[in-house]
Amino acid sequence: MSFLTPLAFIAALLAIPILLLYMLRLRRREVLVSSNFLWAQVVRDTEANTPWQKLRRNILLFLQLLILAALVFALARPFITVPTVSRGQIELLLDASASMNAVDQPGGVSRFETARQQALGIVDTMGAGDLMTVIRVSDVPEVLLGATADPVLLREAINGAQAGTAEADWTAALTLAAADATGAADVSMVIISDGGLGEASGLPGVPGNLRYVPVGQASDNLAISALSTRARPGQQTELFAQITNYGSEDTEVIFDLRVDGELFVAERYTVPAGQNLPIVSSRLPVNFTALQAGLTLPAASTARDYLAEDNTAWAVSSGASDRRALVMSAQPNRFLDQVLRSLPGVQYTQGDVTQGLPNQDYDLYILDGWLPATLPTGDLLVINPPGSSLLFTLTGESEDTASPTVLQNDPRMTFVDFADVSVLRFKTFAGVEWADPLIVAAGGPLLLAGEVDGRQVALLTFALTESDLPLQITWPILIANLLNWYAPPAVISALDGIQVGGSLSLRPPLDSTEIRITRPDGSIRTLSVDRQTLAFADTDLAGIYTVEVLRGDEVSQRAGFAVNLFSPVESTITPQASISLSGVEITPALRDEVGQREFWPWAALAAILILLIEWYVYQRRVQARTVFQPVLRRRSVG
Amino acid sequence: MTDDKLFDEKTRRKLDQLMLVATRVRAGAMKGERRSIKRGTSIEFADYRNYVRGDDLRRLDWNIYARLEKPFIKLLEDEEDLAVHLLLDSSRSMDWPGDGERDQHKFFYGQRLMAGLATIAMGSNDRLTLATLNDSRQAGFGPVRGRGHSLGVLRYVSALKPDGTADLNTTLRDYALRAGRPGLCFLISDLLAPAGFMEGLSVLQGKGYEVAILHLLARDEVEPPMGGDLRLIDIETNQPQEVSIDGGMRDLYMKRLTEWQDSIRTDCLRRGVHYVPVITDTPWEKIILYNLRRLGTVK
Repeated sequence: MSFLTPLAFIAALLAIPILLLYMLRLRRREVLVSSNFLWAQVVRDTEANTPWQKLRRNILLFLQLLILAALVFALARPFITVPTVSRGQIELLLDASASMNAVDQPGGVSRFETARQQALGIVDTMGAGDLMTVIRVSDVPEVLLGATADPVLLREAINGAQAGTAEADWTAALTLAAADATGAADVSMVIISDGGLGEASGLPGVPGNLRYVPVGQASDNLAISALSTRARPGQQTELFAQITNYGSEDTEVIFDLRVDGELFVAERYTVPAGQNLPIVSSRLPVNFTALQAGLTLPAASTARDYLAEDNTAWAVSSGASDRRALVMSAQPNRFLDQVLRSLPGVQYTQGDVTQGLPNQDYDLYILDGWLPATLPTGDLLVINPPGSSLLFTLTGESEDTASPTVLQNDPRMTFVDFADVSVLRFKTFAGVEWADPLIVAAGGPLLLAGEVDGRQVALLTFALTESDLPLQITWPILIANLLNWYAPPAVISALDGIQVGGSLSLRPPLDSTEIRITRPDGSIRTLSVDRQTLAFADTDLAGIYTVEVLRGDEVSQRAGFAVNLFSPVESTITPQASISLSGVEITPALRDEVGQREFWPWAALAAILILLIEWYVYQRRVQARTVFQPVLRRRSVG
Repeated sequence: MTDDKLFDEKTRRKLDQLMLVATRVRAGAMKGERRSIKRGTSIEFADYRNYVRGDDLRRLDWNIYARLEKPFIKLLEDEEDLAVHLLLDSSRSMDWPGDGERDQHKFFYGQRLMAGLATIAMGSNDRLTLATLNDSRQAGFGPVRGRGHSLGVLRYVSALKPDGTADLNTTLRDYALRAGRPGLCFLISDLLAPAGFMEGLSVLQGKGYEVAILHLLARDEVEPPMGGDLRLIDIETNQPQEVSIDGGMRDLYMKRLTEWQDSIRTDCLRRGVHYVPVITDTPWEKIILYNLRRLGTVK
């Protein structure tokens, strides 16, 4: 045993003033007696008359000296040397990813709790001069405590950490740790994890010694690895779910599905070891809002499913609300009418060009051979414009329509084939730098599309009546692609849901003022609509998030999206015996360093206990003195 | 203090009927009212013995001689007085307790015992001597004889005050050497003398005194009610004694007191001294009427 602050033993000199105070404090009350004859004999017999013997018999003094001794001992910070994992400046990376919730530890303890105990063990064995930074590694790495040697703060930080439900971002965590360790000597990176670090080759290199403390014992886990719905025009919504068995044994499981909170179906499946089990169903009811799928092991099952976080998944209905489109044609256009009628999700209105644009707002304006004096504020599909506008300038016409080419790899051109389309002539425009030429003939672009002034505009430079395009299969495909481009489903661009911790793009309508998002736990986040595309990343909880678009105080649109774990990295809970960082294989750390385990708290506790005993003894003495008081008052001198 | 009178008339009448008895009666100089073990000249018949030459013919029993024709001397009991010495320790240690019941005050208690015994002695026409034991050598009283001195005796006893110190060995030795005729000596004291008293007692016995000790202690001397860290001041010597009294210390004191009294009792028994331990919360008449009677010192 050694002491970190042996100078504290100087405080033991306080025993001298205590002794002196006791000797001075021993003010005896003078009491008259008839004779000291017998008392002198008694005192002589007990040999209690010398000052030291008096002191020795005084239990209060003895207890107070004991308290001082215990306190001095505690202040000297005694320690014993113990083997430890790491020394110096320790960057402790505590894996708080979803897989750390697995309860495969003895006694049903979670991996994260075990990791926490491992971390506390390292804190307990920190030596003098050692510093530790605690980083909680989750979807967003978080420095719980900067470099400190204070074990109390470290314990507090570690005990306060909780496991998350998202995939850990190890790249960010290691970068953070490396940045924190910059300039420090004798750096150690201690990773307490089950090894689910994801793609190892992509992880950055880190300075100092790398130490890996593995946790976890089992790999048995079943997960819902996919859940989505697909609305099909004219048919029932289709469900797609997938159960994955990450364990090593075929496992029977009950898959239940709740539609808007009501149990819809519960079926038993056997999922082969290490394989996926897809479930497709077209029996979903119409007009539902949300689905919740769950996995449960049968009561009689002996199989194990150690991670519960991936046993539940959510999905929302993919049915997007209809887009309102206004068609303003100079001449009645049957081709447009037919194609808009056949496409789902579009509610279109035929306008009268003689009346001009109606006052009502539309999501999409289709201007066919006609231009208003002022372009409307919504998305535009301009077909064969008769003149110029603020967005483009008509420069002439061209009949060089040979060799039309389609811009490849553009989603708006998916399955669009213009090779067999004939165009008589088309118009040429200037001032269209904002647009991408999607289809270009030898003489110029036939189709341009792009975003300008906060709206999406497509410009078809030829008249449909001067082309056989409406007669081709490409025509409805092209219009469908353009409509999808114009109108991604409502404000949310991820109807299939996102992963926990992922981000979501929101495209609120231009006239909205605020977006209110209700999380699965009921908490509400509010976003001000100050730009066209908003990002929402507060998705650390799995479940259904409800998005409400507010126009003033009025909810103009409501939608939902699902956040699920759906992470093979996290659901694969097989503990890794080693991890690889920057091509370096790191095996489990041995306790090959010498640490120090302090036990001053025990000494301090002993001091407090002795203090309580001393108080008790003192109280008893006071009571005894009170009993004799009446007699002594009569007898005492003065 | 309940009553400053030493005793009342009723008690006095009880005492008048008592008599002090010495186991070894010493020959008195004057005729007294008690029978002597010596054959004497009183009218009380004791025994006969053969006449030997030189006997006083006046004491020959002529009637026996006429009947038996043998001369017998009639032995008659002699009557003699008893020298009674009453010694009261008047040191400051007897001035205890300082307050509380006057009846339990050691010195007052001693005064009552002294007056009571003196009354008995005067009633028996004994030769009575009163004295106090004190280093200041206060004047004694007597010797006197007869009830005619009752008033003087009581006045003397009432006027006594405890003061100063008393080396019992010295004062007893002095008394033994100073006093005239030895006799029955009552020593009334708390015996709280650091130097002891046995040496003085030996001198008294050597001079032929028959000694009875009335050992007075107050109740709080037997069972001290004190506790805590104390500085005990001896009221006789003013010497301090520091002591921390707790339950254990009190037990030690009481044990020590018992041992001390036992050793006194043993020494007295060996020396033929009557020893009567008295706690002053006992009625003083009971000491005379019961304890001393049981010892045979009073009848």
